[in-house]
Amino acid sequence: MRNFYFFTRKELFEAWRTSRMMILIVIFLIFGLMNPLLAKLTPEIVKMTIGETLAKTIPEPTSVDSWTQFFKNLTQMGLIVLALMFSGSVSNEISKGTLVNLVTKGLRRWTVIVGKATSLILQWTVCLLLTFLVTWGYTVHYFPDQKSPYLFQAVFPLWLFGVLLLSLVIFSSTISRNNYEGLLLTGGVIVLLVLMNLFSKTKHYNPISLVTQNLNFLQKEGALQSYIPSMAISLILFILFILFSILLFNRKKI
Amino acid sequence: MNILELKNVSKKFGSKSVINNLNLTVPTGAIFGFVGENGAGKTTTMKMILGLEEKDSGEILVKGKSVVFGDNQTNHLTGYLPDVPEFYDYMSGQEYLKFCGEITGLTRSQLKQKVPEILSLVGLELDKRRIKGYSRGMKQRLGIAQALLNDPELLICDEPTSALDPSGRNEFLEMLSTLKGRTTILFSTHILTDVERICDYVGMLDRGKLVVSAPLDDLKQKYAKDQIEIEFSQAVKLETFSKKLEELREENILTAYSFDSSKKVFILKYTQNYDEIAPLIFNLFESCKIYPKAIKKIAPSLESIFLEVIQ
Repeated sequence: MRNFYFFTRKELFEAWRTSRMMILIVIFLIFGLMNPLLAKLTPEIVKMTIGETLAKTIPEPTSVDSWTQFFKNLTQMGLIVLALMFSGSVSNEISKGTLVNLVTKGLRRWTVIVGKATSLILQWTVCLLLTFLVTWGYTVHYFPDQKSPYLFQAVFPLWLFGVLLLSLVIFSSTISRNNYEGLLLTGGVIVLLVLMNLFSKTKHYNPISLVTQNLNFLQKEGALQSYIPSMAISLILFILFILFSILLFNRKKI
Repeated sequence: MNILELKNVSKKFGSKSVINNLNLTVPTGAIFGFVGENGAGKTTTMKMILGLEEKDSGEILVKGKSVVFGDNQTNHLTGYLPDVPEFYDYMSGQEYLKFCGEITGLTRSQLKQKVPEILSLVGLELDKRRIKGYSRGMKQRLGIAQALLNDPELLICDEPTSALDPSGRNEFLEMLSTLKGRTTILFSTHILTDVERICDYVGMLDRGKLVVSAPLDDLKQKYAKDQIEIEFSQAVKLETFSKKLEELREENILTAYSFDSSKKVFILKYTQNYDEIAPLIFNLFESCKIYPKAIKKIAPSLESIFLEVIQ
């Protein structure tokens, strides 16, 4: 158990020393600043491009526009950045051979996987929280309306999906020999989920709903309730990905 | 008591057999030199002992406990120095050692004392320099430091001296010999003088088989044959002397002899005691009326034993 703590701390230290954490924070901060700003400036941009008379027909921006930007940015670019950043998490250590010294000292292999998962989830949580707080602060400042009441219900599913994605990234990275293979596998699984979403019957079970229905969750009371199955499935998939990663990693030549 | 036992271990890579029914025992407290040519299977054997490589059959016991491939539980007893150790480049040497120490379960106060101690032992400085900027020799030293950090009961070194400069090699061997009695050491090498210098047991691996495994002294007694080297100056005529030597060989007094004509050096091989053979040779000088520039009794070397054994 102590080794789990030491290894997680090493992972976070690595993220800090190699500036990966810094890059993530900057990217997510930019997202956070951009969301409300874009919503605020959209009418101005429209005015400049298509003329004032036509622009008047477009309704005034509200907090919903700001949050629309937030979910659009994070569920697309944000998650892609995460997958890109961490795709070599396990495979890089294996190909470099940096784990040999640790494993031959008696470091249990599961601590590597669980430690990495913990550190990635922590980093994701910090980034998401950062973007959320910045967007929230500016949105309240620019658009003091009551049009987006259920913020937690909207953001929590996004966080949960991010956690699922990270477990998938670790799983792919454990199977593959380098980050490209890992990325391909992660992308493949996500595409599969998106394709399944074409059948609207599956949407209450499909984890992808957690990042496609957020505006719905944001505005309608209780909308999240009917998506509890997809949250449960996300959680189960998360556990399975981590479990399979450990089992695979136990049989891996390092 | 044996700290390490390998019983009938075999390993194939594809259809190529790398290790073939290997039996090896390392007694507790020994410094065991594991000798073999490149590609003989030394690294593979060591990796199997650490559970880094899967064996096809057989059993490996470290301190009586079975080694399994993958999540191996006997690794807390071992320290391992890979042939090319890899580190986290972004850490400094002391940060890395501290991390390794934590993993092996050393306490904070132990680490505070141990890290500077071991860094000075291997000749690295206690500074903030990142491993990224280390030379290969420095990395090797850090590798040694991390392997010794937790006072392992079994220290496994894979060709530890081949990347070091002569003085580093010397220091490393000195250091290993000071560990004698504290820990058991298995180290592979193809530098036989290193083995002769510090090992008390030798195992010789040839094409996946252990051809010899014995205390060094026994080995020398069993295999080694003394030789006599005789050097003449260039001007001397050697025909009669050669003829007489040939006669001695035909009478089976000498087992063999060789002659290097450019250096005018004879090497004589024999089985009897030196005291018996020496008078005969000296008589030869007298009778041929030629006298050597130098005559030397050559003690058996591990190299000659190795070459003999792997034939």
